[in-house]
Amino acid sequence: MAGEAISVQGRARVAERAIAAGSPYLLIAPALLFMAAVSVYPLFYGVRASLAEYKYGRELGFQGLDNYRRVLADDVFWQAMYVTLRFVLIAVTLETILGVALAVLLSRDLRFAGLIRTGLIIPMTVAPVVVGIVWRLIYASDVGIVNPLFRVAGLTPPDVLSHGTSAFLGLVAVDVWEWTPLIMLIVLAGLHGLPREPIEGARVDGASELRVFFDHTLPLVRPVLLVAIILRTIDAIGTFDQVFVLTKGGPGTSTQLIAIYGYNTAFRFSQYGQASAMMLLVLVGMSVLLVAAIRTIRGAAKKATGAA
Amino acid sequence: MRSRTRTVSMYGAIVLAVVIALFPIWWMIVTSFKQPVDIYSGVSLVPQHFTMDNYAELFRDRHFGSYLGNSLVVVALSVGISLAVGTLGAYALTRSTIGERIRRLSLVGALVVRMVPPILLAIPLYIVLGKLGLLDTKLGLIFVYAGLNVSLVVWMMESYLGEIPPEIEEAALVDGDTPLSALRRIVLPLAAPGMVATAIFSVIVTYNEFLLALSFTSTPNSQTITVGVSTLIGKIQIEWGPMAAAGVIGAVPIIVFALLVQRHFVRGLTLGAIK
Repeated sequence: MAGEAISVQGRARVAERAIAAGSPYLLIAPALLFMAAVSVYPLFYGVRASLAEYKYGRELGFQGLDNYRRVLADDVFWQAMYVTLRFVLIAVTLETILGVALAVLLSRDLRFAGLIRTGLIIPMTVAPVVVGIVWRLIYASDVGIVNPLFRVAGLTPPDVLSHGTSAFLGLVAVDVWEWTPLIMLIVLAGLHGLPREPIEGARVDGASELRVFFDHTLPLVRPVLLVAIILRTIDAIGTFDQVFVLTKGGPGTSTQLIAIYGYNTAFRFSQYGQASAMMLLVLVGMSVLLVAAIRTIRGAAKKATGAA
Repeated sequence: MRSRTRTVSMYGAIVLAVVIALFPIWWMIVTSFKQPVDIYSGVSLVPQHFTMDNYAELFRDRHFGSYLGNSLVVVALSVGISLAVGTLGAYALTRSTIGERIRRLSLVGALVVRMVPPILLAIPLYIVLGKLGLLDTKLGLIFVYAGLNVSLVVWMMESYLGEIPPEIEEAALVDGDTPLSALRRIVLPLAAPGMVATAIFSVIVTYNEFLLALSFTSTPNSQTITVGVSTLIGKIQIEWGPMAAAGVIGAVPIIVFALLVQRHFVRGLTLGAIK
């Protein structure tokens, strides 16, 4: 018996060795090639382009760090960075608060819980371009719904997209509408795996709902929430589609996020060198965030797989 | 008494949230079935005179047939390629015989490709595609989307395949399977639900993609549906009816699709960090 088992293991080992000769590397090679073709290669090309001079979209030769100097001296660039930062901070904060609140509400034993959840996540399944269309129709000064609502309330109709401040806030509202469900869904998934006893226990002891939430629920979902916030922040920095449809960055530069400015610089003004330099600076600025994301996501993914 | 007020306010908050989530989409759908006169005649939550004209116009005058066709071709091919390439790669990563270095490199690489904002890739990729003569072609888009999707597939399938106990596969190898036939006969059937979820998630991401398609294509021969939708904006006067109809066409297939795989949604969106 024992001899047989060993020979079986032995044969398995022979088979393993045969594969070890290179087969897994052969299997991963095409995947790595594909990924490198759309990331490493363009990134190198981007670095190259950032050092070159372009006129009317044609490369005229290298000019050292001029593009970087020009970007760093460009007020519009800094303005766009500032608008982006403000947009991301306000939107992600609101999404986190609302998303957590909704998740806690939905984690109760509700009637129609499944149906409610389905209804709530629809906004984030809509293509971001279409989200832009949806809100164009809501904000429109002639056919929209916001102006009539204000009129009914006896207030001056705001013409949301025609003024800097309201256009910016309107954009934040769109992002909150679209992505609060993401935070909600992630936190809900996190709440699902929690032990109920400490929470029930605290309730029985007469702790208020807020106490229970801050003392028991929040610490337990914190790791999950962190993943959600980091992912959302990275995505929000790249926001483009909705703005392109809603305001194209205007009025003035009030909603010109960095992605919009980068797009305009490259594809409207054909300043590929300057645009590349700008985007590389953004990438460097984001790298801390990316590293944090990789750490937390890999860690969480490992734990999730280990627990399963 | 107190608990009753609490229940009422709880349901009140939820109803409010659902209305806020769904009303804007309802408004777009309603507008898409209205005649121009009715669109301008004030707020009405249902079409006063139901019409399909807005949709007809999109397909008759605005190339929506070809946008949809392009999206179909681009999505099908790029997702198909990336599933094949990515699943094989992910399978290799779950095998103990692969070096830890290359494993880490592949997984971290996949995450980074997935997370870098598309605008950062758009500019250099535009120059590269231009050199290859692939601007304004479906082939160029397929190539770019396949590359981006491979990262998603590698990352997600690695986690699904990793859940399959290695003993099952080892038993197959002992029975005389080669690694590839073991993959096909034993491992893939077990990972099928994960693969379906990955495929559908890739379809959603690809169909919804806008910035790269906008940057790399310029004619209805290769433009996808999201770019098509955006062509209705920016003219001197916006035609609200057709624009709303375009939005509906751009959104509905994916809404339906996404709701079908809700269960897998969190995992895809969080790149497997949360199930």
